[in-house]
Amino acid sequence: MKFAQYLLLAMMTQWLVANIHAGPIEPPKGIRHYEIGPAPGFTLVDIDGDRFTLDAFRGRWVFLHFWASWCGPCREEMPTIQRMSESFSDDEFAVLLVNTAEDEDTIFSFLAEIDTDLKSLMDADGQVTEKFRPRGLPTTILIDPQGLVQYQAIGGREWHQAQYTDFLQALIDHQ
Amino acid sequence: MARLTGTTAVGKLKHTQRYENRRLISKQTNNLRIRALASLQLVLAAALTESAAAQPLSVSTEAIEIQFAPRTPNQMMSFYEARGFPKEMLNILRKECFITVRIHNKSREIIWHDLANWRFSHDDKPLKREHRDYWLQKWHSMQIPLASISTFRWTLLPETLDYLPDEEEGGNIILPRVNGPIELSATFASGDDQRGPIITITHDRLNCAEDTE
Repeated sequence: MKFAQYLLLAMMTQWLVANIHAGPIEPPKGIRHYEIGPAPGFTLVDIDGDRFTLDAFRGRWVFLHFWASWCGPCREEMPTIQRMSESFSDDEFAVLLVNTAEDEDTIFSFLAEIDTDLKSLMDADGQVTEKFRPRGLPTTILIDPQGLVQYQAIGGREWHQAQYTDFLQALIDHQ
Repeated sequence: MARLTGTTAVGKLKHTQRYENRRLISKQTNNLRIRALASLQLVLAAALTESAAAQPLSVSTEAIEIQFAPRTPNQMMSFYEARGFPKEMLNILRKECFITVRIHNKSREIIWHDLANWRFSHDDKPLKREHRDYWLQKWHSMQIPLASISTFRWTLLPETLDYLPDEEEGGNIILPRVNGPIELSATFASGDDQRGPIITITHDRLNCAEDTE
Protein backbone atom coordinates (compact mmCIF):
# COMPACT_ATOMS: atom_id res chain seq x y z
CA MET A 1 0.00 0.00 0.00
CA LYS A 2 2.80 2.37 1.01
CA PHE A 3 4.68 1.52 -2.20
CA ALA A 4 1.63 2.54 -4.21
CA GLN A 5 1.50 5.86 -2.39
CA TYR A 6 5.20 6.51 -3.11
CA LEU A 7 4.67 5.58 -6.72
CA LEU A 8 1.73 7.96 -7.01
CA LEU A 9 3.75 10.76 -5.36
CA ALA A 10 6.67 10.14 -7.74
CA MET A 11 4.36 10.25 -10.74
CA MET A 12 2.75 13.48 -9.57
CA THR A 13 6.16 15.08 -9.00
CA GLN A 14 7.30 14.02 -12.46
CA TRP A 15 4.12 15.47 -14.00
CA LEU A 16 4.64 18.76 -12.17
CA VAL A 17 8.28 19.05 -13.25
CA ALA A 18 7.38 18.26 -16.86
CA ASN A 19 4.67 20.88 -16.91
CA ILE A 20 6.82 23.55 -15.29
CA HIS A 21 9.39 23.03 -18.08
CA ALA A 22 6.64 23.14 -20.69
CA GLY A 23 5.86 26.76 -19.80
CA PRO A 24 6.72 29.74 -22.00
CA ILE A 25 10.38 29.97 -22.90
CA GLU A 26 12.13 32.86 -21.18
CA PRO A 27 13.41 35.29 -23.79
CA PRO A 28 16.81 37.01 -23.76
CA LYS A 29 17.21 40.64 -22.77
CA GLY A 30 15.22 43.06 -24.91
CA ILE A 31 12.49 40.58 -25.81
CA ARG A 32 9.41 40.47 -23.65
CA HIS A 33 6.33 38.34 -23.34
CA TYR A 34 3.53 39.97 -25.30
CA GLU A 35 0.54 37.70 -25.08
CA ILE A 36 -2.23 39.68 -26.72
CA GLY A 37 -4.02 36.67 -28.18
CA PRO A 38 -4.48 35.82 -31.85
CA ALA A 39 -2.42 37.89 -34.25
CA PRO A 40 -4.65 40.29 -36.18
CA GLY A 41 -4.96 38.97 -39.71
CA PHE A 42 -3.84 41.01 -42.67
CA THR A 43 -3.17 40.88 -46.38
CA LEU A 44 -0.49 43.17 -47.80
CA VAL A 45 1.40 43.46 -51.06
CA ASP A 46 5.16 43.50 -51.47
CA ILE A 47 7.14 45.81 -53.76
CA ASP A 48 6.45 43.53 -56.74
CA GLY A 49 2.74 43.72 -56.15
CA ASP A 50 2.44 40.14 -54.86
CA ARG A 51 -0.13 39.62 -52.11
CA PHE A 52 0.64 37.94 -48.80
CA THR A 53 -1.73 36.83 -46.08
CA LEU A 54 -0.55 36.19 -42.55
CA ASP A 55 -2.78 33.13 -42.23
CA ALA A 56 -0.76 31.40 -44.95
CA PHE A 57 2.14 31.12 -42.50
CA ARG A 58 0.14 29.25 -39.84
CA GLY A 59 2.01 26.19 -38.57
CA ARG A 60 5.35 27.99 -38.27
CA TRP A 61 6.78 30.58 -35.95
CA VAL A 62 6.50 33.96 -37.64
CA PHE A 63 9.03 36.74 -37.13
CA LEU A 64 7.00 39.84 -37.98
CA HIS A 65 9.22 42.90 -38.17
CA PHE A 66 7.88 46.46 -38.45
CA TRP A 67 10.26 49.10 -39.75
CA ALA A 68 10.60 52.49 -41.43
CA SER A 69 13.48 54.03 -43.36
CA TRP A 70 13.64 57.05 -41.06
CA CYS A 71 14.30 54.98 -37.97
CA GLY A 72 18.02 54.76 -37.25
CA PRO A 73 18.08 51.37 -35.51
CA CYS A 74 16.12 49.83 -38.42
CA ARG A 75 19.05 50.51 -40.71
CA GLU A 76 21.51 48.78 -38.40
CA GLU A 77 19.22 45.90 -37.60
CA MET A 78 18.16 44.85 -41.08
CA PRO A 79 21.43 43.13 -42.15
CA THR A 80 21.42 41.18 -38.90
CA ILE A 81 17.88 39.98 -39.64
CA GLN A 82 19.05 38.71 -42.98
CA ARG A 83 21.97 36.84 -41.38
CA MET A 84 19.68 35.40 -38.74
CA SER A 85 17.12 34.27 -41.33
CA GLU A 86 19.78 32.23 -43.12
CA SER A 87 20.13 30.07 -40.01
CA PHE A 88 16.61 28.71 -40.24
CA SER A 89 14.68 26.57 -42.63
CA ASP A 90 11.76 28.18 -44.40
CA ASP A 91 9.53 25.31 -43.33
CA GLU A 92 9.93 26.05 -39.65
CA PHE A 93 10.37 29.80 -39.46
CA ALA A 94 8.91 32.67 -41.49
CA VAL A 95 10.49 36.11 -41.56
CA LEU A 96 8.09 38.83 -42.65
CA LEU A 97 9.11 42.46 -42.86
CA VAL A 98 6.46 45.15 -42.89
CA ASN A 99 7.31 48.71 -43.80
CA THR A 100 5.18 51.23 -41.97
CA ALA A 101 3.51 53.94 -44.03
CA GLU A 102 6.16 54.70 -46.64
CA ASP A 103 5.96 54.66 -50.41
CA GLU A 104 7.36 52.05 -52.75
CA ASP A 105 10.34 54.13 -53.90
CA THR A 106 11.44 54.92 -50.38
CA ILE A 107 11.27 51.27 -49.41
CA PHE A 108 13.13 50.19 -52.49
CA SER A 109 15.90 52.75 -52.08
CA PHE A 110 16.37 51.82 -48.46
CA LEU A 111 16.61 48.09 -49.10
CA ALA A 112 19.01 48.62 -52.00
CA GLU A 113 21.15 50.97 -49.95
CA ILE A 114 21.67 48.49 -47.15
CA ASP A 115 22.23 45.80 -49.76
CA THR A 116 19.90 43.18 -48.39
CA ASP A 117 18.02 40.46 -50.20
CA LEU A 118 15.10 40.79 -47.83
CA LYS A 119 11.88 42.00 -49.36
CA SER A 120 9.26 43.86 -47.47
CA LEU A 121 5.53 44.05 -47.37
CA MET A 122 4.08 47.53 -47.64
CA ASP A 123 1.69 48.74 -44.99
CA ALA A 124 1.01 51.80 -47.09
CA ASP A 125 -1.34 53.58 -44.71
CA GLY A 126 0.18 52.21 -41.50
CA GLN A 127 -3.05 50.60 -40.35
CA VAL A 128 -1.75 47.02 -40.10
CA THR A 129 1.08 48.24 -37.90
CA GLU A 130 -1.45 49.99 -35.67
CA LYS A 131 -3.32 46.71 -35.14
CA PHE A 132 -0.28 45.11 -33.53
CA ARG A 133 0.24 48.06 -31.16
CA PRO A 134 4.06 47.93 -31.21
CA ARG A 135 5.86 50.07 -28.63
CA GLY A 136 7.93 51.83 -31.23
CA LEU A 137 9.84 51.28 -34.45
CA PRO A 138 11.54 48.98 -35.09
CA THR A 139 9.54 46.28 -33.36
CA THR A 140 9.50 42.55 -33.92
CA ILE A 141 6.51 40.43 -32.98
CA LEU A 142 6.89 36.66 -32.62
CA ILE A 143 3.78 34.68 -33.49
CA ASP A 144 3.54 30.99 -32.60
CA PRO A 145 2.47 28.25 -35.04
CA GLN A 146 -1.10 28.49 -33.72
CA GLY A 147 -1.27 32.14 -34.72
CA LEU A 148 -0.97 33.57 -31.20
CA VAL A 149 1.22 36.59 -30.47
CA GLN A 150 3.78 35.52 -27.85
CA TYR A 151 6.71 37.95 -27.73
CA GLN A 152 7.70 41.48 -28.68
CA ALA A 153 11.24 42.71 -29.22
CA ILE A 154 11.68 46.41 -28.80
CA GLY A 155 14.25 48.49 -30.61
CA GLY A 156 17.11 47.25 -32.72
CA ARG A 157 19.33 44.30 -31.88
CA GLU A 158 21.85 42.01 -33.53
CA TRP A 159 19.56 39.17 -34.40
CA HIS A 160 22.32 36.94 -35.73
CA GLN A 161 23.95 36.74 -32.30
CA ALA A 162 23.74 33.37 -30.57
CA GLN A 163 21.56 34.57 -27.70
CA TYR A 164 18.79 35.37 -30.20
CA THR A 165 19.24 32.51 -32.67
CA ASP A 166 19.39 30.05 -29.74
CA PHE A 167 16.17 31.50 -28.38
CA LEU A 168 14.44 31.31 -31.75
CA GLN A 169 15.69 27.74 -32.24
CA ALA A 170 14.33 26.85 -28.79
CA LEU A 171 10.93 28.18 -29.82
CA ILE A 172 10.98 26.09 -32.98
CA ASP A 173 12.12 22.96 -31.11
CA HIS A 174 9.48 23.47 -28.44
CA GLN A 175 6.51 23.69 -30.79
CA MET B 1 13.76 33.90 -44.76
CA ALA B 2 10.57 31.95 -45.26
CA ARG B 3 10.29 34.87 -46.97
CA LEU B 4 7.72 36.42 -49.13
CA THR B 5 7.00 33.66 -51.52
CA GLY B 6 3.31 33.95 -52.09
CA THR B 7 0.30 33.41 -49.94
CA THR B 8 0.78 29.69 -49.84
CA ALA B 9 4.15 28.86 -51.32
CA VAL B 10 7.16 28.15 -49.20
CA GLY B 11 10.79 28.60 -50.13
CA LYS B 12 13.42 31.11 -50.97
CA LEU B 13 12.41 34.36 -52.50
CA LYS B 14 12.90 34.57 -56.24
CA HIS B 15 13.51 38.13 -57.33
CA THR B 16 11.75 39.18 -60.48
CA GLN B 17 13.47 41.03 -63.33
CA ARG B 18 11.58 44.15 -62.34
CA TYR B 19 12.99 43.85 -58.86
CA GLU B 20 16.57 43.44 -60.15
CA ASN B 21 16.28 46.38 -62.58
CA ARG B 22 14.95 48.65 -59.90
CA ARG B 23 17.67 47.43 -57.58
CA LEU B 24 20.40 48.56 -60.01
CA ILE B 25 18.84 51.96 -60.60
CA SER B 26 18.34 52.36 -56.91
CA LYS B 27 21.98 51.64 -56.16
CA GLN B 28 23.13 54.33 -58.60
CA THR B 29 20.79 56.97 -57.27
CA ASN B 30 21.66 55.95 -53.75
CA ASN B 31 25.31 56.85 -54.25
CA LEU B 32 24.23 60.41 -54.95
CA ARG B 33 21.82 60.36 -52.05
CA ILE B 34 24.46 59.03 -49.68
CA ARG B 35 26.84 61.86 -50.64
CA ALA B 36 24.12 64.45 -50.14
CA LEU B 37 23.12 62.88 -46.85
CA ALA B 38 26.72 62.76 -45.65
CA SER B 39 27.08 66.51 -46.27
CA LEU B 40 23.79 67.17 -44.54
CA GLN B 41 24.82 65.03 -41.59
CA LEU B 42 28.05 66.99 -41.23
CA VAL B 43 26.13 70.26 -41.15
CA LEU B 44 23.62 68.86 -38.68
CA ALA B 45 26.34 67.34 -36.52
CA ALA B 46 28.16 70.66 -36.41
CA ALA B 47 24.97 72.49 -35.51
CA LEU B 48 24.05 69.98 -32.84
CA THR B 49 27.55 69.97 -31.37
CA GLU B 50 27.47 73.75 -31.16
CA SER B 51 24.06 73.68 -29.54
CA ALA B 52 25.05 70.88 -27.16
CA ALA B 53 28.16 72.77 -26.11
CA ALA B 54 26.01 75.76 -25.25
CA GLN B 55 23.73 73.89 -22.88
CA PRO B 56 23.82 70.29 -21.75
CA LEU B 57 20.28 69.12 -22.36
CA SER B 58 20.12 65.99 -20.32
CA VAL B 59 19.14 65.02 -16.85
CA SER B 60 20.26 61.93 -15.03
CA THR B 61 19.53 60.18 -11.77
CA GLU B 62 20.68 56.78 -10.54
CA ALA B 63 17.60 55.22 -12.14
CA ILE B 64 16.94 57.19 -15.28
CA GLU B 65 18.60 59.32 -17.92
CA ILE B 66 16.69 61.67 -20.18
CA GLN B 67 18.16 63.51 -23.13
CA PHE B 68 16.47 66.42 -24.86
CA ALA B 69 17.25 67.64 -28.36
CA PRO B 70 15.35 70.77 -29.42
CA ARG B 71 14.71 70.67 -33.17
CA THR B 72 14.62 73.69 -35.42
CA PRO B 73 11.58 74.25 -37.66
CA ASN B 74 13.78 73.58 -40.68
CA GLN B 75 14.94 70.25 -39.28
CA MET B 76 11.38 69.13 -38.65
CA MET B 77 10.05 70.40 -41.95
CA SER B 78 12.85 68.64 -43.85
CA PHE B 79 12.02 65.41 -42.10
CA TYR B 80 8.28 65.55 -42.66
CA GLU B 81 8.51 67.02 -46.14
CA ALA B 82 10.80 64.19 -47.22
CA ARG B 83 8.07 61.82 -46.11
CA GLY B 84 5.48 63.49 -48.29
CA PHE B 85 3.50 65.25 -45.59
CA PRO B 86 0.85 67.55 -47.08
CA LYS B 87 1.51 71.27 -47.08
CA GLU B 88 -1.40 72.10 -44.77
CA MET B 89 0.04 69.74 -42.16
CA LEU B 90 3.52 71.23 -42.52
CA ASN B 91 2.17 74.77 -42.17
CA ILE B 92 0.71 73.89 -38.79
CA LEU B 93 3.71 71.93 -37.53
CA ARG B 94 6.17 74.64 -38.58
CA LYS B 95 4.83 76.91 -35.85
CA GLU B 96 5.30 74.37 -33.07
CA CYS B 97 8.24 73.67 -30.80
CA PHE B 98 9.67 70.15 -31.19
CA ILE B 99 11.93 68.54 -28.64
CA THR B 100 13.18 65.01 -29.22
CA VAL B 101 13.31 63.11 -25.95
CA ARG B 102 15.22 59.92 -25.25
CA ILE B 103 14.54 58.08 -22.00
CA HIS B 104 16.84 55.35 -20.68
CA ASN B 105 15.90 53.19 -17.72
CA LYS B 106 19.23 52.58 -15.97
CA SER B 107 17.69 50.77 -13.02
CA ARG B 108 16.79 47.14 -12.41
CA GLU B 109 13.12 47.99 -11.89
CA ILE B 110 10.37 48.81 -14.33
CA ILE B 111 9.97 52.58 -14.66
CA TRP B 112 6.53 53.87 -15.58
CA HIS B 113 6.49 56.81 -17.94
CA ASP B 114 3.33 58.87 -18.20
CA LEU B 115 3.37 62.22 -19.97
CA ALA B 116 0.43 63.28 -17.81
CA ASN B 117 3.00 63.58 -15.02
CA TRP B 118 5.19 66.01 -16.95
CA ARG B 119 4.71 69.72 -16.22
CA PHE B 120 6.16 72.33 -18.54
CA SER B 121 6.27 76.02 -17.71
CA HIS B 122 7.61 79.21 -19.18
CA ASP B 123 7.85 82.57 -17.41
CA ASP B 124 6.26 80.95 -14.36
CA LYS B 125 3.17 80.06 -16.37
CA PRO B 126 2.11 76.54 -17.34
CA LEU B 127 2.94 75.61 -20.89
CA LYS B 128 0.35 73.23 -22.26
CA ARG B 129 1.57 70.23 -24.20
CA GLU B 130 -1.12 68.85 -26.46
CA HIS B 131 -1.91 65.17 -26.07
CA ARG B 132 -1.24 63.01 -29.12
CA ASP B 133 -5.00 62.45 -29.47
CA TYR B 134 -5.40 66.18 -30.06
CA TRP B 135 -3.08 65.95 -33.06
CA LEU B 136 -4.55 62.75 -34.41
CA GLN B 137 -8.06 64.16 -34.25
CA LYS B 138 -6.87 67.32 -35.94
CA TRP B 139 -5.28 65.39 -38.81
CA HIS B 140 -8.33 63.22 -39.25
CA SER B 141 -10.62 66.24 -39.31
CA MET B 142 -8.37 67.76 -41.99
CA GLN B 143 -8.55 64.49 -43.94
CA ILE B 144 -4.79 64.09 -43.92
CA PRO B 145 -3.71 60.81 -45.59
CA LEU B 146 -3.48 57.91 -43.13
CA ALA B 147 0.16 57.25 -44.04
CA SER B 148 1.18 60.75 -42.90
CA ILE B 149 -0.87 60.42 -39.72
CA SER B 150 0.75 57.07 -38.98
CA THR B 151 4.29 58.37 -39.52
CA PHE B 152 3.54 61.44 -37.44
CA ARG B 153 2.23 59.25 -34.63
CA TRP B 154 5.35 57.07 -34.66
CA THR B 155 7.61 60.08 -34.29
CA LEU B 156 5.92 61.17 -31.04
CA LEU B 157 7.06 60.17 -27.58
CA PRO B 158 4.48 57.65 -26.30
CA GLU B 159 2.03 59.08 -23.78
CA THR B 160 2.62 56.12 -21.47
CA LEU B 161 5.19 53.36 -21.48
CA ASP B 162 6.59 50.88 -18.98
CA TYR B 163 10.34 50.99 -19.45
CA LEU B 164 11.98 47.66 -18.74
CA PRO B 165 15.43 47.64 -17.13
CA ASP B 166 17.94 49.05 -19.62
CA GLU B 167 15.23 49.88 -22.14
CA GLU B 168 15.72 53.06 -24.11
CA GLU B 169 12.93 54.63 -26.15
CA GLY B 170 12.18 58.10 -27.34
CA GLY B 171 10.21 60.41 -29.56
CA ASN B 172 9.13 63.98 -30.01
CA ILE B 173 7.13 66.16 -27.71
CA ILE B 174 5.38 69.20 -29.15
CA LEU B 175 4.98 72.41 -27.19
CA PRO B 176 3.77 75.89 -28.11
CA ARG B 177 6.72 77.85 -29.46
CA VAL B 178 8.11 80.30 -26.89
CA ASN B 179 11.25 82.37 -26.52
CA GLY B 180 13.45 81.73 -23.53
CA PRO B 181 13.88 78.85 -21.12
CA ILE B 182 11.26 76.20 -20.52
CA GLU B 183 11.11 74.48 -17.15
CA LEU B 184 10.17 70.83 -16.80
CA SER B 185 9.24 68.82 -13.75
CA ALA B 186 8.36 65.15 -14.24
CA THR B 187 7.71 62.16 -12.03
CA PHE B 188 7.90 58.47 -12.76
CA ALA B 189 6.53 55.55 -10.78
CA SER B 190 8.79 52.52 -10.41
CA GLY B 191 8.57 48.83 -9.58
CA ASP B 192 6.39 46.05 -10.99
CA ASP B 193 3.30 47.32 -9.19
CA GLN B 194 4.23 51.03 -9.52
CA ARG B 195 4.64 51.20 -5.76
CA GLY B 196 8.41 51.66 -5.77
CA PRO B 197 10.15 54.97 -5.12
CA ILE B 198 8.85 57.92 -7.15
CA ILE B 199 11.52 59.30 -9.43
CA THR B 200 11.47 63.05 -9.92
CA ILE B 201 13.44 64.95 -12.50
CA THR B 202 13.60 68.66 -13.22
CA HIS B 203 15.19 70.74 -15.92
CA ASP B 204 15.05 74.51 -16.18
CA ARG B 205 16.87 75.22 -19.40
CA LEU B 206 14.93 73.50 -22.15
CA ASN B 207 14.22 75.67 -25.14
CA CYS B 208 12.71 75.84 -28.57
CA ALA B 209 15.42 75.73 -31.23
CA GLU B 210 15.35 78.48 -33.86
CA ASP B 211 16.47 78.32 -37.45
CA THR B 212 19.89 79.90 -37.75
CA GLU B 213 19.60 81.36 -41.27
